[in-house]
Amino acid sequence: MLLPVNSKCECGHQNAVGTVLCEACGKPLEEQLMKSNEPLEMRYDGVARRSQKANPDFLDKIWNFFSSVKIAIYLIIITFLGAMLGTIFPQASTFISATFNPKVYYSEQYGLAGEIYYFLGLHNTYSSWWFITLLVMIGTSLVICSIDRVLPLYRALNKQQIRKHHAFLKRQKATYSGQVTDEPVQWTKQYGEALKKKGYKVHIDESGTALLAEKNRFSRWGPYINHIGLILFLLAVLARSIPDWNVDTYVSITDGDTVPIVGTNYYVKSDGFSMELYDNDELPIELKDSGRVKTFKTDVVLYECAANCGDDFLQPELKEVKEHTILVNDPLRYKELKLHQFDFNLTPRINAVSPMIINKETGESYGPFHLTMVDPELYYEVGPYSMELIDKYMDFSINSEGEPITLSSSPNAPAFIFNIKGPNLAEDGEMFMYFPLEKDKVRFSQDTINRELANKLEIKVDGMENVDFSAATTYLNVRIDKAVKFLWIGAFFSMLGLIMGTYWQHRRIWLRIDDNQLTLGAHTNKNWFGLRADAAYALKRCGIELDPKSLDNGGHKG
Amino acid sequence: MNWLDFSSSSFIAAFFLYVFAFIFYMVAVAGKKWGKRDAKQHEARWSKIAFITSSLGLLAHLSFFFTRWIGSGQIPTSNMYEFITLLGMTIMIAYTIIHFIYKKPLLGMFALPLTIIIIAYASVFPQEVQPLIPALQSNWLKIHVTMAALGEAFFAVGFAAGLMYLLRVIDYNDHTKKGKRAQRWLEFTLISIFIVIGFIVAAFGFKGAGYVAQFQQETVDVSQVGELTTSYDVVEYTMPPIFKPYNSEALQVTEFLGMTDGLFETPSWFNGVNSGRKLNTVVWSIIVGLILYGIIRLIIRKPLGAAIHPKLEGIDPDDLDEISYRAIVIGFPIFTLGALIFAMIWAEIAWGRFWGWDPKEVWALITWLYYSAYLHFRLSRGWHGRPSAWLAVIGFVIVLFTLVGVNLLIAGMHSYAGVD
Repeated sequence: MLLPVNSKCECGHQNAVGTVLCEACGKPLEEQLMKSNEPLEMRYDGVARRSQKANPDFLDKIWNFFSSVKIAIYLIIITFLGAMLGTIFPQASTFISATFNPKVYYSEQYGLAGEIYYFLGLHNTYSSWWFITLLVMIGTSLVICSIDRVLPLYRALNKQQIRKHHAFLKRQKATYSGQVTDEPVQWTKQYGEALKKKGYKVHIDESGTALLAEKNRFSRWGPYINHIGLILFLLAVLARSIPDWNVDTYVSITDGDTVPIVGTNYYVKSDGFSMELYDNDELPIELKDSGRVKTFKTDVVLYECAANCGDDFLQPELKEVKEHTILVNDPLRYKELKLHQFDFNLTPRINAVSPMIINKETGESYGPFHLTMVDPELYYEVGPYSMELIDKYMDFSINSEGEPITLSSSPNAPAFIFNIKGPNLAEDGEMFMYFPLEKDKVRFSQDTINRELANKLEIKVDGMENVDFSAATTYLNVRIDKAVKFLWIGAFFSMLGLIMGTYWQHRRIWLRIDDNQLTLGAHTNKNWFGLRADAAYALKRCGIELDPKSLDNGGHKG
Repeated sequence: MNWLDFSSSSFIAAFFLYVFAFIFYMVAVAGKKWGKRDAKQHEARWSKIAFITSSLGLLAHLSFFFTRWIGSGQIPTSNMYEFITLLGMTIMIAYTIIHFIYKKPLLGMFALPLTIIIIAYASVFPQEVQPLIPALQSNWLKIHVTMAALGEAFFAVGFAAGLMYLLRVIDYNDHTKKGKRAQRWLEFTLISIFIVIGFIVAAFGFKGAGYVAQFQQETVDVSQVGELTTSYDVVEYTMPPIFKPYNSEALQVTEFLGMTDGLFETPSWFNGVNSGRKLNTVVWSIIVGLILYGIIRLIIRKPLGAAIHPKLEGIDPDDLDEISYRAIVIGFPIFTLGALIFAMIWAEIAWGRFWGWDPKEVWALITWLYYSAYLHFRLSRGWHGRPSAWLAVIGFVIVLFTLVGVNLLIAGMHSYAGVD
């Protein structure tokens, strides 16, 4: 673009370098533009943008790059094309298993295409350096595009001259010229009155024959408010990478247990997980017996640790802070902490048994005594017997060398070794191995292990009421997201700006009358249809009847 | 008669009212040269009749929606059938709003067939009320889904007006390379619509004939810990198997034109649940769509676009351009609110994260980015007329992919939406 060196307009106004239309009277400043007869480009009212400098230096060039809407559109297009790539195969982040190996998974599951996908890093598209860079560039573009335009635009709209240059009026996309038979001052006033009825603010200059009617100027700020909201939103997204601002972990709680939430001062207790299915009479035919789930819920109590927190030896002192029934759409919320229902496991877990000791020789039975799986007592007195707990295995198994081992710390196959003293037993006591679960007793042949002692006595649970077990384990997703409120603020402003900018349009109508010769021009940033209707309505009120469409100067669009 | 039966009857009434309204619009346009009538008066009269009929159709459609809501006790937006009928309904709402702004009756000529195709497509899916699974038991289901659908409906009206604009302005006497290219792409767009119709015709045709085929498919899978597992699934087809599932054996195939087994096997690299059946359905849709298109071509003996073009001559293309743009501008904030912001709020409540890069979320974002590029092209780069109309047409393809394609081709969090 040719920048006029002398930017002083014939009306006497001094314009900034790069101004296309005089800020005061609207006369086209470039000679080439003045000669042409095309409708004027009214974007930003033809003011000079900040980026239009005569001799840009390096920083200016970067500024100019990001201030270009064309670049912004390219960034948007590249971003959504890139986002498409990420949906071809599932992203690695959707697999939360610790053993998940993306390298193996993608090639096994999707063959060569999967291998290429993995090689290109597309299994982590949305956290890849190029995707994040694109988002940051869009953010930069939002900031710079807005600053570049909003200030000059504000200036231009704030000091509008009422009487515009003929070239400006005639080359608007909606325009009209004609003769006025009435007295010009009276006619102008009447025209202004008609537009006031349509909600316009009407300004008439001191001569009384030039008019500016304006409506909904605030809608011009919509895009900028929207962009500020989007910037806030993007900043909030970036803020989530601040340590502690975004916690995303899982806890598994077996019914009745209280567990600490790692990384916080909270403990959470599950009073039980439950699942409810729909009855068959609530389901349509093809879903009968499909086991469609009606509710998942966990009753929980949240505690805050008051003392002895993180102490290895002392029990922490817990203070109850909240009770809640967690549903899928109803998490527990306490301050910034949220607990969401994530998953469940219906495998029961044994907690404690209350068995009897039976003397097989006499048939007498003693007890019961209480044996817990976690932290059991080390010494028991039961009738004439005394028992010392020597060893325990929570998940009993025999390794390849034939030695007993435990596979895990969960009580899947608990086993206890007692040294028992009592009537008709060796003075130092005799070793007895006890499997509380009937299936393990058979699987590991308890009687064979205990040899003769198995004929002398037995430890046995009498009925299910003497077994304490948890029916289910619930998995909760622990969330802290401190950025989320800023996110909503950003979304709110973005939405507000969007509504301002789209559901209202800035409409302006100018006219001047020189010796009964009326020249009218009108501009809007969108909805020319409505603008032409307004201008034609007011003309009709002043005795000039015409088809609104005839005001069109080939630029109804926008 | 209970609420749900009444609801089904209303749906059928709405469908036929839409069909009649479409026919009346055709009479309004095509009948101008009948006899010695005054063309302008004829058009005004018949387009008024057509608009009243389409409004009655919308009323019936609304009563379908609300009586189904009352009858089932849950808002009917939770599975594919309910969602797509909702989309059809919101398109009619959007069309009615645009009609009141611009009073350009002939837009109905394109909005109505679009709605008719969409609700016919919805009827392919199972129509029973399915009680809500826990993830959907939220008030946000009502707000998020209806708002998103309404936003998309305005994009659909933008598409209809954009397509009309192209049919109006593309000059079939232009034999330059550029002109030929525009004609070819427009014809391609029309053929794509025929393929959708082909799907509906094939689905109903074979369903009506009671066609079934069953295959046993063997799937070898790698678990996350690296073990190989083999599973056997029975895959049911409702259309003759041009493509049978990968690595499968026919259990039972109804004979169709001498076909007793799949003609081809689906390649192994087609992923997703029931990819064989989906590929087969696509192939049938293309075949039936092309046959329908071929028959029409044989009758009219020229490109379809060239046949429609002269019928639109009375319409001002600038109005169409503006209507298309305006519909999209009105839809954009609604879409932003419904499909992104409300979706994020709900996701934050249900899953504890407002955004998880789930395929459906990503495609909603892609749709949003696409239309924001459209708005910037239009507002700041001055793209009007043809490029703008093409963007509106392509945009609706992206909308449809987000709504339906993601569920059919890519599984994800939204896969519960009850497809096939």
